[in-house]
Amino acid sequence: MKVTRRTFLRESSRAAAGLVVGFQLGIPGATSALAKSTRRAAISADPESAAEFAPNAFIRIGTDNVVRLWATRSEMGEGVRTVLPMVLADELGADWEKIVIEQAAMEPRFKGIRLRTSGSGSAAGTWRPLRKAAATAREMLISAAAGKWGVSAESCRAEQGSVVHTESGRHLTFGELADAASRMPVPASPKLKDKKDFHLIGTRVKRRDGQAIVSGSAVYGQDIHVPGMLHAVVARCPYLGGKLVSFDPAPAMKVEGVKYVVPVRSGFATGVAVVAVNNWAAIKGRAALLPVWNKGPNASFDSDTFTREMENALDQPGFALRRDGDAPAVLVASKKKMEALYEYPFQAHAPLETMNCTAHVREGSCEIWVPTQAPEAAQQDAAKLLGIPEDAVKVNVTLLGGGFGRRLQTDYVPEAVEISKAVGAPVQVMWTRDDDMKYGFFHPAKLERLRAGLDEQGLPVAWHHQSSGPHLSLLGPTAEEKKNPNYFADDGMLWGSFDNPYNFAHHWADYTLVESPVPTGPWRAVMYPSTVFARESFLDEIAHAGKLDPIELRLRLLQPGDMRDLKATMINRARLIAVLKTVAEKSGWATTQGSTSDLGSTTAPHEKSGRLWGRGVACNVYDGDCYLAMVAEVSVAKNLSDYKVERVASVIDCGLALNPLGLEAQTESAIAWGMTPVIGGKINFKNAQAQEHSFADFKVPRMSEAPRVETHIIQGADAPGGFGETAVPTVAPAIANAIFAATGKRVRRLPITAEKMRLA
Amino acid sequence: MPESSLRVFSLNVNGELRKVKAAADTPLLWILRDELQLTGTKYGCGVGVCGACTVHENGSAVRSCQITVSSAAGRAFTTIEGLAAKTDQLHLHLHSCQQAWIDEDVAQCGFCQPGMIMEAAALLSKHSRPTDADIDSTMSHHVCRCGTYQRIRQAIHRAAEMQSAKPSTGTKTGAKTGGKS
Repeated sequence: MKVTRRTFLRESSRAAAGLVVGFQLGIPGATSALAKSTRRAAISADPESAAEFAPNAFIRIGTDNVVRLWATRSEMGEGVRTVLPMVLADELGADWEKIVIEQAAMEPRFKGIRLRTSGSGSAAGTWRPLRKAAATAREMLISAAAGKWGVSAESCRAEQGSVVHTESGRHLTFGELADAASRMPVPASPKLKDKKDFHLIGTRVKRRDGQAIVSGSAVYGQDIHVPGMLHAVVARCPYLGGKLVSFDPAPAMKVEGVKYVVPVRSGFATGVAVVAVNNWAAIKGRAALLPVWNKGPNASFDSDTFTREMENALDQPGFALRRDGDAPAVLVASKKKMEALYEYPFQAHAPLETMNCTAHVREGSCEIWVPTQAPEAAQQDAAKLLGIPEDAVKVNVTLLGGGFGRRLQTDYVPEAVEISKAVGAPVQVMWTRDDDMKYGFFHPAKLERLRAGLDEQGLPVAWHHQSSGPHLSLLGPTAEEKKNPNYFADDGMLWGSFDNPYNFAHHWADYTLVESPVPTGPWRAVMYPSTVFARESFLDEIAHAGKLDPIELRLRLLQPGDMRDLKATMINRARLIAVLKTVAEKSGWATTQGSTSDLGSTTAPHEKSGRLWGRGVACNVYDGDCYLAMVAEVSVAKNLSDYKVERVASVIDCGLALNPLGLEAQTESAIAWGMTPVIGGKINFKNAQAQEHSFADFKVPRMSEAPRVETHIIQGADAPGGFGETAVPTVAPAIANAIFAATGKRVRRLPITAEKMRLA
Repeated sequence: MPESSLRVFSLNVNGELRKVKAAADTPLLWILRDELQLTGTKYGCGVGVCGACTVHENGSAVRSCQITVSSAAGRAFTTIEGLAAKTDQLHLHLHSCQQAWIDEDVAQCGFCQPGMIMEAAALLSKHSRPTDADIDSTMSHHVCRCGTYQRIRQAIHRAAEMQSAKPSTGTKTGAKTGGKS
């Protein structure tokens, strides 16, 4: 299979990596002493031999019966530090209460092991390697016990932290067997358990970090305290692409507690750091500082003007993403046709914990404590900056106060390293909320133009989806690559338009790249939010124009319910049909005010409590892997002065749901996230500066906006799929469609405001 | 060396008298975090719009980023670290909100939750059985980017039930986290 960018993204998120299964005689808690105290390791902690195993978590079993597991993904709320122990406990036969979860760090022991957290891959990417690692450990423990008792391994089993001889009932704990097990040969192909023998997987298990979080003892990046540590805030150039010209440190140095004022040339936006004994002195020092900036080449950049540029670009040649049949010709020939333009504005991530990083640079080495999704990049950045080997940089990953893709960037790391080096002390760089809003890697604005040619029944036979806007990352195509119109053709780009799951006789998709000075990066659900908003809204428009039920229309367009091989991704239409049918049933789709009718009748809008109520549907496939259909119900004030999302019912099929409680939580979370660009989240650039400062002007959902959320899971058979992002893209179109159902007002430009409803 | 502009301030935090030397305009938030190492109180915005830094003063929820240390002097505050009742060196009686948060499996990234819990505890001390509308109007001053609002609402109702069932605050810990629900 050709390795495309999409398959790379997918496979690298699943890539197997090394694992050490070791058995140590030592005291739990003395992490750094572990390697030294390991008397004999069945598989040594040597990275070379570790890589041969290629799973990706570390297991250590002590003579005290404690089973330690190193999480190889960052915990940012997706629950990885709960789900990995579940998998371990089931496959190993461990005692749940004896499992201790640790966080893997970038250090030589974990070399070659993926720690990056992205693409909804925390569970999906670690499931198989962890099971193999656990099965390896289980077989060695059983061999050790069987050897002691002089019985066959087949006559023994591992359960609840012990190996039991089934016939005689004799048993030895894992701790009692740790030493002997370490001398057992490593099984070449350990046998994985049958799913029927799992006790925890598939059950509702609560977060293991719950008590630490509610007690305030959970440690995030900003909570790190290193002896002798100084605090820094950075004055960064406020103009996109601008530069520092000069600065006078004197006014900042006058603030008591400020120790140093130093230039910062690394990171993304360069500037001046104010380093102080505490955060407040650093903040005050920065306020006193008046650096002189060069506005750079983008001084007049304005996002409203940019939207018009994107609109013009839709008529310019771009990249051909999909070419099934001849959609333009059929469109021209169609008697009935429809066209609509949808807008998606720039979005900030705005995780509640602002960016931060603590670095301690010593002669020839460096230690970092950072809440990041990308510890590998953090290590590389630091090593490069310092000119030292990567192995000389240790990166400790703390809990993340939200990630959402923002923490896949590591701009905050080299800043901290550079400042620590400059002042010769450990330094914590703290971003204020205003910094976080202004210096993001924003989710790119996009325009989506949809055209359809319809047959006599109003069904689309030709479909043309054209997108325009900046690339998702700073690493877009090169100048040379831009000249190749087929550059993205096999790449699965853009997600949501290329992998459109519906069956149209003629189906084209195009993308025109429009460059902007705005740094961009992945946001929760990567590229789907914009494309799926447009696609699922447009289908709704077609349904209403043809007086077709929106779910019925989708079901017809998914016939014959087959597999669709798009090279870069495989779509199973039968699974999408199943979630759509189930959401119709679970949401009472055809129900109005308590009366039910068969699926197929258009959901009637109605009036209740003096407001207009309506429902909208949307569905999507995330990366060929996870299938979701969603019905949103809204109420709108009769004078269109406001709307509220009352209820969102979703049906999700992401394969094997390891922890349904966690899957439901992620779906609830993704729905709130997906509401952000609907209810008001938008970053406006004027004069090359983001205009938003905090949650006061970047509107995010709060409790009063939170709908009642119902999540229904279709439990799949095989492996788990990723589910942290799946529900995001359908939220905006489901709400927009519901507002249309309630009011007849079609808003195509996000966010959906009262004014836009009135003007629609 | 010019004369220091820092002054010594005394304030009561979690039942203990604490003396800190600080600039008079330092927000209580940074006193708690940087000087007293009480990092359960979070920095989320610094301008009073996210609620992550919420602490109690006389049982009322206040934003520690909006109170200067000079005005805080002589006053008494409780942070998330002081919400649970310590029965001895090893054991805590979690506040009913903390326990309800665990029971409802509220937290995702968890960063906003100390502030949420402090707000909820203050709400329950004034309204023993708040309605959804009471909860929405109070809790809407807080931001949770993970969108755990539905579970927060459930947890507050659960905590209210726990409190009405057992007038003395709190429940026994050792409460298993990570247990099956």
